[in-house]
Amino acid sequence: METNSFDAIVVGSGMSGGWAAKELTEKGLKTLVLERGRMVKHGEYPTATKDPWDLPYGNRITQETRKQKYVWARTGYPTPANEHWMVNDLENPFVEEAPFDWLRGYHVGGRSLMWARQSYRFGPLDFEANAKEGVGIPWPVTYDEIAPWYDKAEIFAGISGSVEGLYQLPDGKYLPPHDLNCVEIDFKRRLDEKLGRKLIIGRCANLTAPLTHNESPQRGTCQARNMCIRGCPYGGYFSSVSATLPSAERTGNMTLLADQIVYELIYDNDKGKATGVRVLDANTGKQTDYFARIVFLCASALGSAYIMLNSTSSRFPNGFGNDSGELGHNIMDHNKPGSSNAGVEGYLDVAYTGRRPNGFYIPRYRNVGKDKRNYLRGFGYQGRASRAGYARFNDSAAIGEDLKKEFAEPGPWSIGMTAFGEILPHHDNHCRLDRDKKDKHGLPLMVLNAVVRENERKMEVDMKNDAAEMLEAAGFKDVKVRSDSYNVGNSIHESGTARMGSDPAKSVLNKFNQVHACKNVFVTDGSFMPSFGCQNPSLTYMAFTARAADHAVSELKKGNL
Amino acid sequence: MSAPDVTAESPVLLERRELLKRAAWLLGGAVSAPAALAILQGCSAKEGGGAPVATKILTAAQLALVAEIAEIMIPKTTTSGAKDAGVPVFIDSVLDAVYPKDAQDRFTAGLKEFDAAAKSSGKAFLEREPAERVAFVKQSLEAALAGERDPKPFILMTRELTLLGFFTSQVGISENMDYVPVPTVFHGCVPLTQMKKHVYWE
Repeated sequence: METNSFDAIVVGSGMSGGWAAKELTEKGLKTLVLERGRMVKHGEYPTATKDPWDLPYGNRITQETRKQKYVWARTGYPTPANEHWMVNDLENPFVEEAPFDWLRGYHVGGRSLMWARQSYRFGPLDFEANAKEGVGIPWPVTYDEIAPWYDKAEIFAGISGSVEGLYQLPDGKYLPPHDLNCVEIDFKRRLDEKLGRKLIIGRCANLTAPLTHNESPQRGTCQARNMCIRGCPYGGYFSSVSATLPSAERTGNMTLLADQIVYELIYDNDKGKATGVRVLDANTGKQTDYFARIVFLCASALGSAYIMLNSTSSRFPNGFGNDSGELGHNIMDHNKPGSSNAGVEGYLDVAYTGRRPNGFYIPRYRNVGKDKRNYLRGFGYQGRASRAGYARFNDSAAIGEDLKKEFAEPGPWSIGMTAFGEILPHHDNHCRLDRDKKDKHGLPLMVLNAVVRENERKMEVDMKNDAAEMLEAAGFKDVKVRSDSYNVGNSIHESGTARMGSDPAKSVLNKFNQVHACKNVFVTDGSFMPSFGCQNPSLTYMAFTARAADHAVSELKKGNL
Repeated sequence: MSAPDVTAESPVLLERRELLKRAAWLLGGAVSAPAALAILQGCSAKEGGGAPVATKILTAAQLALVAEIAEIMIPKTTTSGAKDAGVPVFIDSVLDAVYPKDAQDRFTAGLKEFDAAAKSSGKAFLEREPAERVAFVKQSLEAALAGERDPKPFILMTRELTLLGFFTSQVGISENMDYVPVPTVFHGCVPLTQMKKHVYWE
């Protein structure tokens, strides 16, 4: 019993779990971090330095991988270079009442190893929208309250970007921005001149210069390899494995256990507190209880919701902290209904060297300032311009010496971009457990049911038309806008399952990510979001996790937990 | 090595020595004679003491035909060709592991049609003079590009696989591109005149 007791337990070791571990251990708490997947230590990235010819099958995934990782495979993300981070969906089944791309990474580091590293702040526009428009519930936190925590997250993680002074996309503490390439520079200028819209370089968690602090000696600068998704031996991008977990480790206060599936919170009815968590060993099935004064759930929006839904008691018959009936509801993601591309004439005497792990970003402009649309909220675009590679020869008739001559020159330029649109919270977009269906561990299966609705459909019209308008305004040729079938989850930004709010009757968490009905449990992954903006969310999870950890330790010291 | 004058007869009927010579040619000379024999017999073999190679989908005759088509598309000149890059065995391995059954079947059926079309228009493909083979491949490509491309016709599947195999091979990359494993920095707008090679691997 003694050896199973800690000051704090953190469930999950990804983006938010790593931050919770770092902050709690640095504040002196003996902290147990439990990860359901296998151990990964910084530097242990098996494909990171493989040359292209050392990857099998031209880096195309096999039919066998396609079968095992079928959810991942249908998204097109995996390759032999990165498939070791993608969960085996066959072994980890779930129920799709509506198609749902639940893209998981079960290993230490979670999806912080494979993320796209785009790091944007949510602004006042985002934090105020629900209240102003009467959508969902109001945010209990203002931009000004979270801004210092954004500073902290950006400085520690190392976010590169440009300072732009945009109200809808507040600036942060940035390392130098990546270059735009020659075509992107002109696209930026023409968008500004012709449509008054901004194009900026992506803000990303790659170190374009050394960190401005000495807390991460294991990290070096970005080497412009653009192989981040394999794991970076240089520590060139932020992940919990490269950054937060090593900090936690150095305090001597962290115990990190892999292959431990937390499936339930232990609730003490007399104390009115959670006392710990129940765990199954992923390999042996051995059940263990671990105890602590506080618990941080950082298992991802669906993972944490799963644990809470599975933690029933006489006090919480419908799931842990679920007095409001909102637990598992209001799932959001970013709607990605289409991508657009165009050919670019000219620029044949220029190219780029190095491989930029980043692209351009067109921040939201719809429903900003005087712009008013027939839908709420807005969208942003992420894209890049590039010169065509050898795939352009797939559909040409050139052979022999003629073809070889063409090899020697880069192909024509093209430009492509994808819109990411805000999805409004909706109670019917939900997850729940099916206790009649069990996985190999005997645990109930997650049921997912979320779709895009009227507001998102209306927004899609602009998302597509505006893309065409901008590419045409820039003078590009053969503009094509593709309609993609989008499943919720496909942007890998699923969120909202335990929203925060001031009213316990309508929300699961309070403004410090504490469960209203059980204050020593904090949920700091994407679960807490009451609305979702159109920005990539990880930076926001970092900031809120750091703030919640600070609050937790302060409350512990006051004897309030 | 120039293409030997191969006949369309089954390899099992050939003299052993001829068989070995041909196998080594098929595989770009990168394979030892015993290894090549093992491949033709459908057994596992070691390439240069490295990974095992064996045909999984294509027969030896089919591999020979695919190898010749690939080499016509990307011939050995002052720089390496498709066979030097190991494209024939690559194609077989990708067909086996990556392609679904229906695509494998379309490929092998298309390959038979290609062979039959050559025969019905006069002479088996591999019996033709080199210039005739080139013309036949060119003509097949042009016809395929002008026609229905979904599902992808055999000749375009072969072309895609040839390009993929060639440009993921060490010789294909290093001889045709500036391959920099650790660039250290990204420069967004560089005149080609300042680049080591105009094509930068990405």
